[in-house]
Amino acid sequence: MSQSPSTVHRPAGLLSRGQCILFGALLALPLLELVFDLGISAPTRFVLGFAIVGIGLNVVVGFTGLLHLGIAAFMAIGAYAFAILTCTIYPFQIGFWPGLLAALLIGAVAGAFLGAPTLRLRGDYLAIVTLGFGEIVQDLLKNLELITKGTQGINPLPTPWFFGATFASDTPKSWYFLYLGILLACTMLVRNLEHSRIGRQWFAVREDELAARCMAIRPDRVKLTALAVGAGLAAVGGALLASLISSTGEPGNYDFQISILALCIVIVGGIGSLTGVIVGALVMVGMNSILLPMLGQKLQQAGIGTTTSVYLAPDNYKYLLFGLALVLMMRFKPKGIVAAKEEDH
Amino acid sequence: MSAVPIIEVDGVTMRFGGLVAVNDVSLMVDQGSITAVIGPNGAGKTTLFNAITGVYDPSAGRVLIAGKETVVPLDAKAWWSFAVFGISSAFLAAVFLHAEGLWLHAVTENYEYLKPFPWMKGIMDAAAYVIAHGGWAALVGGILGAAGRFAIWSRTRRTPEIVAESGVARTFQNIRLFPELSLAENVMVGMDRRMRAGFCASLLRLPSASLERRHAREEAARLIEFVGLGTKIDALARSLPYGHQRRLEIARALASRPSVVLLDEPAAGMNPTETVELMELIRRIQSTRTTVVLIEHHMRVVMGISEKIAVLDHGEKIAQGNPTEIRNDPRCIEAYLGKEDLG
Repeated sequence: MSQSPSTVHRPAGLLSRGQCILFGALLALPLLELVFDLGISAPTRFVLGFAIVGIGLNVVVGFTGLLHLGIAAFMAIGAYAFAILTCTIYPFQIGFWPGLLAALLIGAVAGAFLGAPTLRLRGDYLAIVTLGFGEIVQDLLKNLELITKGTQGINPLPTPWFFGATFASDTPKSWYFLYLGILLACTMLVRNLEHSRIGRQWFAVREDELAARCMAIRPDRVKLTALAVGAGLAAVGGALLASLISSTGEPGNYDFQISILALCIVIVGGIGSLTGVIVGALVMVGMNSILLPMLGQKLQQAGIGTTTSVYLAPDNYKYLLFGLALVLMMRFKPKGIVAAKEEDH
Repeated sequence: MSAVPIIEVDGVTMRFGGLVAVNDVSLMVDQGSITAVIGPNGAGKTTLFNAITGVYDPSAGRVLIAGKETVVPLDAKAWWSFAVFGISSAFLAAVFLHAEGLWLHAVTENYEYLKPFPWMKGIMDAAAYVIAHGGWAALVGGILGAAGRFAIWSRTRRTPEIVAESGVARTFQNIRLFPELSLAENVMVGMDRRMRAGFCASLLRLPSASLERRHAREEAARLIEFVGLGTKIDALARSLPYGHQRRLEIARALASRPSVVLLDEPAAGMNPTETVELMELIRRIQSTRTTVVLIEHHMRVVMGISEKIAVLDHGEKIAQGNPTEIRNDPRCIEAYLGKEDLG
């Protein structure tokens, strides 16, 4: 063999170089706040929550090539499972971490249950079914009033604790680090899957299902794994976001817009790339919950009132900007900000 | 050489609506041999390959691999899957139809303020409630679930993955690599049949999974070198020139260590030098005791390496024999070789 062993054995590191830089930057963000009073580590927690949802959706859409338009349903399932199991108005009250774990498992099982009957659907048909599932879950949560409190949403939700320290709502920095830690764990675990036999099966099914089948890969099993992993991560993201605002919000919050936002995160960031998804979350959610509100505040301070004219409220332009971002990405960088494969290893 | 043929095609007919693509074709492939299937375009060669590898289910006739019919048997595992689907859909139906009653009975009634929830009692009460009230829902849901699973099972008893599992690997006429994966990964997908790493081992990158991946990469590098693609195992498959893509497909097929490999026009689009190298490669594959069946139009390849040739025309097998017999068979000359002589 003419190959040197070092090129044949090139195990993927725990994080890629791009991911190391990204997490380094995210870790340094609150330090920046010590010097400049930006007040952005609090809203950036939403970015981290959506990044986890994005990573989950990326497993389904990016790795396995299944167009999923109902990921918000699994965020709702995660948020409600977490809320029912931890909220003080319910009898269970199992605490933050067991609640999060339960959200993960319940989300994954729900994903598998949705997946099982739909595995033989291809392309557009699967997209329609997932779209419908997204609507059904909202209606279910709305109408099971006895259990889910209907349109009121469930609150209050417990704040996270870590090594004995409970986080209050006035310490956004410790929440931020905790959520960053959870995002890091999710990234590393999904990266392990990406570079393993499981990931290879996902890719093979995405690239050419018939060829994969002729190599003895069972596409239904492979897709089911991807749907369960994606739904589980989306449920964790949903639970974390709910914990952040201490309420599940009403079921109607988990609507098609949220599914599309998650899809935009994946597409703008770089479909099939974990680094890209986190960058995508920073761009899309950052614009949505940091940049635009900040801009609105600045405009108000400058005396250009927002109460009188809807045209002067930057928040009202967010869907315009989402659309613009998508169109520009498709025209100039169709593989996303961080193209998959470029960031490998 | 063993007496049981590695592939036995027994009177296979493939109908697509009114069109009969393959008509009552029988074919024996001996273990360790090189067999060629030839015929004019549209003769049904690729359709026959698709019927052998489970891409199509034959309209009539059967295909035996090493003397066995490659269908999923109605065994304990099949019954188990019907049961699992039936029970889980029964459970879902019962729980969803009685969700609120279940909640009142099992959760609200068991809850005393400021006391921990009695999990065991709650679960027992829930089970009792479902048994008492959810009978009809569970019955209907269970029957639907089990019947649905049975319908899917009976329609997918002979699929490509099951045929591949029994040691048949193939390449495709219009190359079907995984273009966005590297050479090594393409070949490693072929090895999947022999890999054992499960979900948890992969998720946590346990030593067993890492070791397996390491060995797989070593073997992939060897196979890529075996088919003559050198050492750039991390290049993307789509970056390869056409002829090299065909060889990579062969490497991927060999990676599953098949007992028989079906090559669909391996020399298509290759220049004369590459064709000679391909013949050499096919002989080397045979020397690893792998049976080779190929569809080919290059007569030099067919006549040069095959021990047995079957000729198809308009979906029917019109001749079979060794290269000399085929060369002298009047029907073959008329159907196929004759044109080449004139041209």
